[in-house]
Amino acid sequence: MSIWEKLTSIPREVIMGLVVIAILIPALNPLGLPLMVGSMSENWYDTVDSLPAGSIVLFDIGYGSGGYPSLGPGNIAAFHQMFAKNLRIVMMATALEGSMMYPLIMAGVKPESNYGAVYGEDYIFLGYIAGGQTAMAGVLGDLKSLVSSDYNGNPISGYSIMDNVGGADDIDLVAYMTTSGDTAEGWVYQAYSQYNRALLGGCLSMMTTSIKPYYDSGQLLGIMDGIKGAADLEFLTGHPGDAIVSSDILSFTQTLVLIFILVGNVAFWMQKGGGK
Amino acid sequence: MVSLDPQVWIAAFLTIAATSYAFRDNRVFKLAENTFIGVAAGHQIVMGVKNIRDYGWSHLAQGEMIYIVVFLLGVLLYARYSKEYYWLYRYPIAFLVGNGVGISIRAGIHSDFIVQIAQTATPLVASDAMGTINNIITFVGVITALSHFIFTYESVHQGTLGWGPKIGRWMILLALGASFGNTVMTRFGMYQGRVVFLLREWLQII
Amino acid sequence: MDYRRDIPLAITFIVGVIAVLDYYTTFESVTNTFTVIKNWGVVLQAFALGLGAVNLFRIHGKRISERTRDDWMFSGWLLLMLVLFVVVGLGTGQYDASTSYQWIYNSLFLPLGATMYSSLAFYMAYGSYKVLRARNFEAALLFITAVLVIIGNTPIFPATFPVFFHIREWIFGPIVSGAYRGIRIGVGIGAVVLGIRTLVGLETGYLGRR
Repeated sequence: MSIWEKLTSIPREVIMGLVVIAILIPALNPLGLPLMVGSMSENWYDTVDSLPAGSIVLFDIGYGSGGYPSLGPGNIAAFHQMFAKNLRIVMMATALEGSMMYPLIMAGVKPESNYGAVYGEDYIFLGYIAGGQTAMAGVLGDLKSLVSSDYNGNPISGYSIMDNVGGADDIDLVAYMTTSGDTAEGWVYQAYSQYNRALLGGCLSMMTTSIKPYYDSGQLLGIMDGIKGAADLEFLTGHPGDAIVSSDILSFTQTLVLIFILVGNVAFWMQKGGGK
Repeated sequence: MVSLDPQVWIAAFLTIAATSYAFRDNRVFKLAENTFIGVAAGHQIVMGVKNIRDYGWSHLAQGEMIYIVVFLLGVLLYARYSKEYYWLYRYPIAFLVGNGVGISIRAGIHSDFIVQIAQTATPLVASDAMGTINNIITFVGVITALSHFIFTYESVHQGTLGWGPKIGRWMILLALGASFGNTVMTRFGMYQGRVVFLLREWLQII
Repeated sequence: MDYRRDIPLAITFIVGVIAVLDYYTTFESVTNTFTVIKNWGVVLQAFALGLGAVNLFRIHGKRISERTRDDWMFSGWLLLMLVLFVVVGLGTGQYDASTSYQWIYNSLFLPLGATMYSSLAFYMAYGSYKVLRARNFEAALLFITAVLVIIGNTPIFPATFPVFFHIREWIFGPIVSGAYRGIRIGVGIGAVVLGIRTLVGLETGYLGRR
């Protein structure tokens, strides 16, 4: 077996073992590399920054355990910015596990101790609402005819934040973070097309290409682009967290992937050239 | 100092069990897999019951008796498991499909069609040379990518006219390459979260 | 009239048309009717969430009763986990807001959900090594942008050579925007056509078997 044949047939276990090592080394010894912020994340940050204090933001926690490692840190950073600006956040979840992400996010943001925020006055969580786009259309159309209680089962009429929030006309910004393409499209259809609301979208990096047309056409004012976008938001908001920590790990693992690609292609072409 | 929290130990065990499939299929992974399916279905039931209470029962409790019809339709969904009464399932599903289709197509025409075309039909000449080049590439990309999907007329893919779909195919391949690059980052970005959990919360060495 | 088929088709048409009319008109009666339809839709979707569990009980219950190979023990475990979540979730009356439920979610569902999707990272690495080859011109196109985007996404490279960051941004500019806008328009046309066909009764797949 020639060297090139050996290089094209490295066992799967070896490849995967190298991946594990590439993840462990930077996790144990962080490099602390500088970050270059992308324009989509900058536009997300600037859109939220431009809102006056007291503005109402409707935020959809549209992801679950699968998206939490990538979107969770970005969600925390986004909420840090919103609470710091004294925006009032009406949270909901269109993802089945979204309501389980809420306590994890709040544990990271700590709005009461960090910003003096009061549940029911400065923010509220309506919980998971089934139906996808039906839920979005329902909340934006006539929220109080659909939703009567919050996540804890308490009547929303008892919370001052909901006094003047009846539907889309009372909402200044709609933002979502999701791992579902249907949810990402759904908010564009409902919040932008139907009600012409300012809209921000956060999604996994692999979904960015498919929702980019909405950003280019102005339907989305900013995109939080997966773990990279989360790191950008953490940097912009001044709250470094797990996304920035991941940068070092990504440096190692993706460099390893590039080496694999290079080795695979060189060996392939050398083997092909030698066979002629 | 390793964590003493049982929750962390269970989570760590399941993380390692689920990862083990990457090396080879094994019974520990099967345990993790079946746990995942079971808990996911259980969670669905819990959230379903909660939503029925919050968005259905609350209306009934307020005196909106019409919601009895909604509850009946909801129960009829389970008729799909009956050989004899299967057809009853069609009533609620027809409602859901009509609702879903109506909600999505009405705005889809605007978002996916009108706005996208309007964005493409903007002046190609920008304030700088690079901007103009980018606009031209975008415009060519849109038109040729669209032409690639015309399968009704074979002549579109032949001769000189065939260059349009061919270039469209190349543009799509370039874009798919970018999508692949992002997918690599997505997966590693997800997995690093689990590794950080194992090292920070379970083994407590970072 | 076949009440088993025509009435469901009529329901689909009426509900869908009201949804569309709500977007294009401002009649209060249409808006109010559609608000009711939306609210009903949320409740029906909630009922639909239990369908998966019923199916699991049917399939895995059968495996347990037939003692199918070794699978029946795993099937039993699956149903046990399902019942555990339901009992804890519904038992406290607080559903997902209950601390007990959050405890079992964070112990069982969260790590599994996060790991199941992310362990594909290993397959990405192996697939990149085995399959991502510039075999011909078209494969090379995909290869080039994939490699340039991976380099641009790897923080160490843009930090050392900022040009890689700008290359990645440029690829996501005209290249991705152009191609995916074309795809988006095509998808939009397709979705609208399929939707209209569904509303007028030409697509009846959702009705299931005859």
